[in-house]
Amino acid sequence: MPAPLSKSKPSPLAPDTAIGGYRVVRRISAGGFGIVYLARSPEGHHVAIKEYLPSSLASRAPDQLVPYVAAEKLSLYRLGLKSFFEEGRALAQISHTSVVSVLNFFRENETVYMVMNYLEGDTLQDFIITARDQRAQKVFRESTIRSLFDEVLRGLRIVHQHKMLHLDIKPANIFLTDDNKAVLIDFGAAREVLNKEVYFVRPMYTPGFAAPEMYKRDATLGPWTDIYAVGACMYACMQGFPPNDAPQRAAKDKLSVSLSRLRGVYSDHLIDVVKWCMALDPLERPQSVFALQKELGRLIERRYTRLSMTERVRLQLDLLLSDKRKPPRPPAVGGSAAAANGP
Amino acid sequence: MKFDVFQVSRKGGRQKNEDRMGYSYTREAGIFILADGMGGHPEGEVAAQIALQAVSSLFQTRACPRLADVKAFLDEAVLSAHRQMLAYAASKYMSDSPRTTVVVCVVQDGSATWAHCGDSRLYLVRKGDMVLRTRDHSYAEYPHIGANSGRQPVNRNVLFTCLGSPMRPMVDMSETTPLLPRDRILLCSDGLWSVLADREISSVLGAHPVAEAVPELVERALRGGGAASDNVTVVAFEWESAGVEKTPDGFIDTLADQAYASTVQGDAIDHPADHRELDEAAIERSIAEINEAIRRTALRSGR
Repeated sequence: MPAPLSKSKPSPLAPDTAIGGYRVVRRISAGGFGIVYLARSPEGHHVAIKEYLPSSLASRAPDQLVPYVAAEKLSLYRLGLKSFFEEGRALAQISHTSVVSVLNFFRENETVYMVMNYLEGDTLQDFIITARDQRAQKVFRESTIRSLFDEVLRGLRIVHQHKMLHLDIKPANIFLTDDNKAVLIDFGAAREVLNKEVYFVRPMYTPGFAAPEMYKRDATLGPWTDIYAVGACMYACMQGFPPNDAPQRAAKDKLSVSLSRLRGVYSDHLIDVVKWCMALDPLERPQSVFALQKELGRLIERRYTRLSMTERVRLQLDLLLSDKRKPPRPPAVGGSAAAANGP
Repeated sequence: MKFDVFQVSRKGGRQKNEDRMGYSYTREAGIFILADGMGGHPEGEVAAQIALQAVSSLFQTRACPRLADVKAFLDEAVLSAHRQMLAYAASKYMSDSPRTTVVVCVVQDGSATWAHCGDSRLYLVRKGDMVLRTRDHSYAEYPHIGANSGRQPVNRNVLFTCLGSPMRPMVDMSETTPLLPRDRILLCSDGLWSVLADREISSVLGAHPVAEAVPELVERALRGGGAASDNVTVVAFEWESAGVEKTPDGFIDTLADQAYASTVQGDAIDHPADHRELDEAAIERSIAEINEAIRRTALRSGR
């Protein structure tokens, strides 16, 4: 069989194809790792089935079942399977309403399939885009953000209790079901952290949501790494777009300025929580989900402080001054010291 | 087979944590492994990781679901780890090989058997008393070896054998030791025993469930070691019974016939053997392992 062009994506299995006792209904989505299908179980339930079929390593002609893997890519293909198994292992141990559950794992068509709960709804990303396009002053109400992330954090806490990190939390991986539950999905980047600080395979990261330590080779990842991403998701829910990515922030941190625009719209407390989660220094973030939950759940009177014109000017000035400093370093967060003591 | 296990590894004031630990079990056999990579030689953490993987992967192949001959297995597993370290050093053209201590304990038929090399220890604690522990391969515990060399007095903490050195390692093999219900077995790196006395280790271990005793001991050792504390690593289990019965909460339940559960991760290091692709058997085993985990999680949560 001639090798198809490497650029062409592997064809999804046709509707009504039987795999492992399930029947494919339709393709839901496709990513670098493979394809997700909506399928029907022998009992007639809907399930989501993730097929391992990395598009860079395997191809499949439209009428075929078995993927074609070029001989020279076979070893990478098999290596990728390990990550797929990691994801299965991570999810298999967890049973929680806020974490997608895996129901079965099987081998067929010379590849591997992971059967998961089928969720009806949309990703948080879809919601943010829809809300943003309506150009309202706020993307989400504060109470919505608080209750949404309360659920996300409950799920994430269980994940961390199992000594796993998600490592790819972003709005596209937070699913909001039609019956109003937030569910963490796509554990393709998840890794067991137990005992592995030294030899850690860096997963792929999503700019804007990836903590600074994800870009470094020898930094220690921990709960604080996922917490940074949670903060970035909250930020996206408030602004309607993702924050600057960590390297940009390290060069010139506009976070305080952009958050200051939200003052008066969202409570000072919520803004401070986002800032805390998104501290560039991992040690300055909440060190555990529990610590963040505690802060987020604190019953306090919400204050909404609009910044005065001078305060806003100071923040802008801070940013300008930070630009001229040699060597460049991040500006003092929220402080006006630079403006006061400046040249 | 029923036991309650807990493990933890914490970095002290050192730059790296070169300790590794893990456990694996099938329906009829369990294995507990701890290795402490040696400083003074390159890549101690790689040596420890190789020890862990070599021993656990051999267990995975041989325990189906029980080992035919436990002592022969231990012997073979430890030597195979040693040889893999030398092969690793050779493959990287290293002038010196990575080295590690190791202590491995197998439980089968209600009895424990263990092997060790170096100064990572095993303690058997019964009713709060230390019944026995391994004897370190150090000049401190074998003074006559140091004296016989006829040279200057040696550092008492220096080990005279370990895995990964060009010399064939000395491995001590225990008797097959029947376990009584509530017996505790603890494996630890020298970060623990160099700070805490044997009596303290056995009394804390005997007085609390392992899930409380182990973190407590490790915390005490780190505190006692201060800013310069060594890394402290412990894996311990409380023996319940050999039978297949209903499992109370917190106890590990038994596995289906061919199933295998493990905390040892196989893809953690940049080692030639590690880039081996998964073979057919390994794929099947991974799938079985995941389905077993799904089944157990479902049972636990009534899903």
